[in-house]
Amino acid sequence: MHKELSDLINRNVTGANAVAYLTADAKKFDSSITVETSHIYKVVEFLKTNKTTSFNSLHCISGVDYTDYMEVCYMLTNYDPSAVRNLTLKVRVTDRVNAAIDSVVGQFVSADFLEREVYDMFGIKFNNHPDMRRILCPDDWEGFPLRKDYVAQKDYNGMTVYPDNKMNMEDREFIVRQNMIKKAQAEKAQ
Amino acid sequence: MQDGVVLTTLDEFLNWGRKNSLWPMTFGLACCAIEMMATGAAKYDLERFGCGAFMATPRRADLMIVAGTVTLKMATRVKVLYEQMAEPKYVISMGSCANKGGPYWQYGYHVLKGVDEVVPVDVYVPGCPPRPEALIEGVMTLQKKIANERLLRNKWVKHA
Repeated sequence: MHKELSDLINRNVTGANAVAYLTADAKKFDSSITVETSHIYKVVEFLKTNKTTSFNSLHCISGVDYTDYMEVCYMLTNYDPSAVRNLTLKVRVTDRVNAAIDSVVGQFVSADFLEREVYDMFGIKFNNHPDMRRILCPDDWEGFPLRKDYVAQKDYNGMTVYPDNKMNMEDREFIVRQNMIKKAQAEKAQ
Repeated sequence: MQDGVVLTTLDEFLNWGRKNSLWPMTFGLACCAIEMMATGAAKYDLERFGCGAFMATPRRADLMIVAGTVTLKMATRVKVLYEQMAEPKYVISMGSCANKGGPYWQYGYHVLKGVDEVVPVDVYVPGCPPRPEALIEGVMTLQKKIANERLLRNKWVKHA
């Protein structure tokens, strides 16, 4: 299904450059289609309006940080009982400092909060979004928590995030020591 | 009996009245709030201890039950709500999260490590979440604490 869909996208949306990633077991829903970052709005518009695909629901947008690039995944569903299908659509964001892609709120209103959450956690801005601000963290929060290079704040509004007297340092040292032992064992095995 | 005389100290009389009419604030943060609601409902019936009148405003409440995870975003609000309550006021910290951060104690970048960082806590109720019996015991512990108070010597009455 993904192979045909990616061919369909390539035929109808010029420059979308859709590449299907297929897993061995198609029933596991792990297959996905990666498209060009700048063409995400056009691809979503096509998949929604086209009669053969007609995906009528966007039920999740999630972000993934692979350290050298970030990915935004769109879960599209078609609730047509005669042909129920799911599609995972992925775009890659390589610029970590000024990360920005086009918003799909124009097609799916459900994308509003989902895109705000992706912005909150990964710092990816969505162009043409009606209300682009944080949704879960406070407005004066520093950094984007789900990025791999995120460092937790030491203080927030006069409150200490990790007070020394509350941290059980013995437990912490135990975990660190266990990790060191595991690492040494792994090196020895090699 | 109708013309009888009861002899007691003023402190004890006031404390007896206060400890049997603790009004908590309607204030739930996370899953502990579900147990708090169960405690207030028919089966466990917090009203038996005079503690079932959950007030919808901090200005009418004596007791704040911090039921659930206190995130850093919420901590500022918790502090404001506590300051809005009229004295004398009490705080029960319910559940592991409010006590010490709970499962978020090590990697929870967004969780306050214990509500006692922002407000003074009278009774800690352990559990994740605590059973209604545990919360009732926490309330009874607080009642014992109130019964032993010397309200008339306290600072807020002296300077009132």
